[in-house]
Amino acid sequence: MSLDNLQGWLVGEGLRDDLDRLTRHTVVAELDNLVLPAGEEAASFDWPRLLLAGSILARSDQRTYQDAALRIATAAITLSDSDAIKDSGAVLLSKLSNFRAVVLATERGLLSADVEGRLGMALRIEAQRRQIDQSVLVQSSGRWIQVNEFQQRFWSEANNYQWLSASAPTASGKTFLVLQWLIDQIRSGEMRVAVYLAPTRALVAEIEANLVALLGTGSGIEVSSLPIRDKHDKARLGGPRAILVLTQERMHLLANAIGAPFKVDLLVVDEAHKIGDNQRGVILQDAIERASRSNPVLKIVFISPATQNPQELLVDAPDGARTASFESDVPTVLQNVIVAEPVPRKSKQWRLSARQHASMLPLGVVQLASSPSTLRKKLAFIAAAAGERGGTLVYANGAADAEGIADLISQLMPEAPADPELLELADLARKGVHPHYLLAPLVERGVAFHYGNMPSLIRLEVERLFRSGKIRFLVCTSTLIEGVNLSCRTIVVRGPRKGIGHPMEAHDFWNLAGRAGRWGDEFQGNIICIDPQNGQAWPDGVPERARFPIKRESDAVIEQGDSLADYLDHRATNDLSAFQDPNQFEQVASYLLATFMRQGSIAQSSLAKRHDPAIIARLEASLANIAKDIAIGPEIAARHPGVSALGMQRLLDAFRNYKGDVENLLPAAVDSDDSYDRFVTIMRRINQHLFPAFTPDGIIRLHALIVVQWLKGFSLARMIERNIDYHRRSRRSFKLPVLIRSTMELVEQIARFRAPKYLSAYVDVLNLHLVEIGRQDLIDDDLDIGTQLEFGISSRTLLSLIELGLSRVSAVALYEKIARDDLAKEDCVAWVRERNTQFEGMDIPAIILREIRGKLLPEDRAGAATSTP
Amino acid sequence: MVKKPVTIGPHHFSKKGDAVAFLQAILHKYDIGDKVSAADAEVLHAALALHPEAAAKVGAGVTHFSVRSADFGTKCFWVNRVDGSTEKFSIKGCLSG
Repeated sequence: MSLDNLQGWLVGEGLRDDLDRLTRHTVVAELDNLVLPAGEEAASFDWPRLLLAGSILARSDQRTYQDAALRIATAAITLSDSDAIKDSGAVLLSKLSNFRAVVLATERGLLSADVEGRLGMALRIEAQRRQIDQSVLVQSSGRWIQVNEFQQRFWSEANNYQWLSASAPTASGKTFLVLQWLIDQIRSGEMRVAVYLAPTRALVAEIEANLVALLGTGSGIEVSSLPIRDKHDKARLGGPRAILVLTQERMHLLANAIGAPFKVDLLVVDEAHKIGDNQRGVILQDAIERASRSNPVLKIVFISPATQNPQELLVDAPDGARTASFESDVPTVLQNVIVAEPVPRKSKQWRLSARQHASMLPLGVVQLASSPSTLRKKLAFIAAAAGERGGTLVYANGAADAEGIADLISQLMPEAPADPELLELADLARKGVHPHYLLAPLVERGVAFHYGNMPSLIRLEVERLFRSGKIRFLVCTSTLIEGVNLSCRTIVVRGPRKGIGHPMEAHDFWNLAGRAGRWGDEFQGNIICIDPQNGQAWPDGVPERARFPIKRESDAVIEQGDSLADYLDHRATNDLSAFQDPNQFEQVASYLLATFMRQGSIAQSSLAKRHDPAIIARLEASLANIAKDIAIGPEIAARHPGVSALGMQRLLDAFRNYKGDVENLLPAAVDSDDSYDRFVTIMRRINQHLFPAFTPDGIIRLHALIVVQWLKGFSLARMIERNIDYHRRSRRSFKLPVLIRSTMELVEQIARFRAPKYLSAYVDVLNLHLVEIGRQDLIDDDLDIGTQLEFGISSRTLLSLIELGLSRVSAVALYEKIARDDLAKEDCVAWVRERNTQFEGMDIPAIILREIRGKLLPEDRAGAATSTP
Repeated sequence: MVKKPVTIGPHHFSKKGDAVAFLQAILHKYDIGDKVSAADAEVLHAALALHPEAAAKVGAGVTHFSVRSADFGTKCFWVNRVDGSTEKFSIKGCLSG
């Protein structure tokens, strides 16, 4: 019998009953308020046999076998009373390179300290060899860190290849190791500028904070998430090296600000599978290509969650570049799939079973507090009962549901004096959003919700307090699978949808479910799926474990055959209003047009090799037909990914034909009385000539108003207050929670996404026109409008505060107290230092104060910490 | 009803309706958010002087005129004053005296 056959036999037959029993006992220990079936036997296992089998299974690289070995090791440590068995479980864990779990068991008192000391000589030598094998040397510090197999492979291949694509599930320790490696590279090599591309602002903020924490003070390496050239330029000129953490849009803004000297030495692309995202995927692809053009010897590392084909990302590597890809599917924590079904005729009782391969293992019945008459109540009550001990995440299909479910859970929580940190967060929610924002009373009870359009300072604090355990229940939306590194102990989910209405595909579901289990904090993670038999909730049942297929947005659109070429042909002749959903093709069409203009053809580009020659030839003809009428040049097209060069040309033509005073084409200063109306007109002009971005026409005024308030540096709270006033004055009815959420959404989707994209192109084309007519005097060389909108700033002081690292919420709160609008960074620091002792009387939320002091007076804080007895 | 001639600066109109049409033609040349050109501003200065509340509309003094939105999706002229204040005025209001 071969090893593989033996392993297959062990899991499929030899150990099947034992593994089922082990699974039941380990899973039951994870759930609260569970009534076990009558006559449940005590745990009694043949440990020596199981551990021997476990060590055989640990030698496999197949997930199923590794899972079984991990189950045996975890059970030995957590269920057995014998020290010898527990020690053997620890040895098995280290065979699985799961040193973190051994540390956790020791911390929990499940293992006596110094396992190694108790091993026999042979085992001890083997254990030590394994520890050496499974360590990597951090060149810059001379320190060794213990790693798992994925991490070790990443470390060696990232050093050896120019383009690397690595894929591993959540909780593999990816981010931690990549950041260590990145820091090591920038410290010990010749590299001066590294860019870390993260596809969401939430992830950008998180990665930036992690890097700052890992580097510590006085590292001599600058970290920034702003698209401002200063740090790049200094690093290039031999100053401090720079790690820039950016979304794809911010990287384009930065490259635009710098122009030709823009050069990146090392690019890390996190969540790289998002190259397939609708609308933003092609902008990410363009950012990668732009960085690659900036430096022919650019080193690139792609990281993605469990994906099927990480090698797909390497096909655009330049000729001669050494490339490698690998994927890991090694489990680091046990992930239990549990299904919850109602007991017939007893609506408050729900039967839980664990799914193990094809079989269902009955676990027991959980008793709910009340009868769950709605879908929201099902999620809330089951989460509150089975996940009572905390670390429980509930997935909701949308922000309104998230608020509703969190509210229900909070009502089941016993009243208890709230923790000071929770009170601070509640205070921030009341002052930063609205005095009646639902989040505030909920967090006081240790329950929170979480969605994408929330101000980042609040969202990050929610995440932090959930990690620390003070927030015990967190109800989240798909924001979580869009790139936030947050894991939990238990996930509760029913009929998950992605976006509006689409049932989650298996790989999306597992990207979510994979967050169950905090490696190093827990041994197991639990995924509770409610109503598994319900066809509406789960059209294809609870999905089996699956990996992402990586597919570029551009490839997916081109593959649709003639549709894209048809769009291009229509775009050349028709009014944009004739298209039903121009967004479906516009981004990729713009990308191809920009590529065509730069290269004179797309036939030689690497995407041509991936598609049917007939499709490419048709596209080539359509593009050539459009490009002949475009005179704006490839540079300006490259500066605005996703914005069509054809649209830009039409806008330029409109400027040329404009009969009025050319000054009226420029955006008016935001503090002028004309600003709002000028934006209305500019948005109409954009809709007419560039792209129908602000539609329908009736909504333009609202969009312009939001843009002006945002640029003026209004706080979100003030914008919400204004919106309420407007509704009251005009006697329009409104619901406060909806109005709060819609204001947040307008800020994120319009002021921070659509407006910068199109206004930035508008201003660029206008500048081109101003040069043509000899009116350079009207060109404002100050901060780009796109960057102003990204951060919601228009004054020097606010920019300085953001540059100092403050979140916008904090920067705006502080700016309300600062009289001058022209302060440089040093002036802001001096202003804060002078008033440091008076802040407590200024009614600024404590979390904001902490950020202000931490970012602007870091030395003072360090000094205070060391002087504390 | 007797037609009443109107004079706005150098422009003479035999009846009020013609003057209104003349000013409205100027208004419609502009998009909302536009600053009124120097030539048109001269006309508006003269028109504003005819307003029954001319002194209050001019206030501390006019820096320039703008075209901005008014109620119900319409647009109208606005006066911008040296003290930073701003106020709209209607064409018909100017000619109602």
